[in-house]
Amino acid sequence: MNVQAIIDDYVNKVAAKLPRAQRNDIGLELRTLLADQLRSAAEEAGRAPDADLAAKVLRDFGQPSEVAARYAPRGFQLIEPEQTPMIITVATICVAVQWLISLPLVFSGRMTPGQWWLQWCLTAFACFGVLVVWFGLANWMQRRFPIVNGKRPWQHWIFWVPFPRDWRPGEPEATERRAAVNAAPIGAVLTVFFVAPAWLVGHLLSKGASVYWLAYADNFRHWLLPPLILVMVLRLVFFWAVLLDERRRAATEVVRFGLWGCFLALLYWAVFGWRIFAYPLTDLLFRTWLLFFLLINTIQFVVWIRRTATRVRIPKTEATAPLNSNC
Amino acid sequence: MYYVPHCDVRNMVANMVKANDDAAAKLDTELRRGALVLAVLAQLRSTQYGYSLRQALAQRGMPIEEGTLYPLLRRLEEQGLLASEWQIKDGPPRRYYTLNSKGVRMLEDLTTNWHGLVATMNGLLQQEGI
Repeated sequence: MNVQAIIDDYVNKVAAKLPRAQRNDIGLELRTLLADQLRSAAEEAGRAPDADLAAKVLRDFGQPSEVAARYAPRGFQLIEPEQTPMIITVATICVAVQWLISLPLVFSGRMTPGQWWLQWCLTAFACFGVLVVWFGLANWMQRRFPIVNGKRPWQHWIFWVPFPRDWRPGEPEATERRAAVNAAPIGAVLTVFFVAPAWLVGHLLSKGASVYWLAYADNFRHWLLPPLILVMVLRLVFFWAVLLDERRRAATEVVRFGLWGCFLALLYWAVFGWRIFAYPLTDLLFRTWLLFFLLINTIQFVVWIRRTATRVRIPKTEATAPLNSNC
Repeated sequence: MYYVPHCDVRNMVANMVKANDDAAAKLDTELRRGALVLAVLAQLRSTQYGYSLRQALAQRGMPIEEGTLYPLLRRLEEQGLLASEWQIKDGPPRRYYTLNSKGVRMLEDLTTNWHGLVATMNGLLQQEGI
């Protein structure tokens, strides 16, 4: 086989993968360089250039696609490396939720496995693509309209993604204490209200009036309301304990986690397993609001667990005393 | 008590040596990569084409893979540091590269930085007794 034909074929394959404007120029240069390279290799080997040697030189030079990639202008990353774990987590949750919603339909016989496979199982993965496109557009928008003088342009909000925040020195315990100060009175009012909303509102509006639309369903009031109120009261007590305690303690964290988890579990049970209010419209509206409340709370709960789990734990030794301690 | 065959031990040692050599080769490549642009700019004070440049660098102890060097020349030209033109001297037409005025200034700046870096590194390495 003609040596030049082998080189030309290789160069054409590289050129085909290059931007149109550079194709001919780089191709011509590469053609000459590879011929020089082959001539030099032949001199070293002490023989005339032949097809075998040409193939070896070109193989050593690299696959045509790799060579073209080296010449191609540096692209940009569709997704920033720090965003990848978030995309994988969110997409995995989306897939899991869709499967969890749809699989019971298969087990209860309302959908065949084949239907589930086509309608739910495979289509659930579309969320990966949606997220990649969304983040890609968001990143492009942020490159196109960069932050000037620390001010974020409005275009960044078109494809919103969690913006990286500037770190500022702060004391998380103080922040939590402030949050507890705000939450405690609201919690107290809600706890009192939910003990007997119909009675309370009736007394507030006109003394002794019957507010039938705020009356609990009997079963709920007898069985689920008492433990729910108990957990709410305990959480309230705990809030005050956090306020009075100067230090964050492992025990406090465990109690907080436990009470919060119990509270959420009871509320989920109430939403999905019980009729809460006797009056249908109130029940529907309250249940809708409760679902929204639960969604936000569950996200906060998961974030809190994650933050606690990833916190650096300092071993208790003398060498690790706080920097400003006088010990 | 475990019996480890002699040949397994030999393989393990060979693998460890190979892993160590691979790591050393990677670090050496990274170290050279930082100096690559400066080496190329320094050689392009006189006009060169791709292959002759590669040979000149190799002769002076700085071998560079051709697959790395040729695209690098293109990038430096795009950055406005090199001028290039097709010439026929002895053989087929070739693209010759040389520093332009911006490239000369860049070479001077990078050379100053390089000397500073070498002095700093020498200080660090001598301090550690290496």
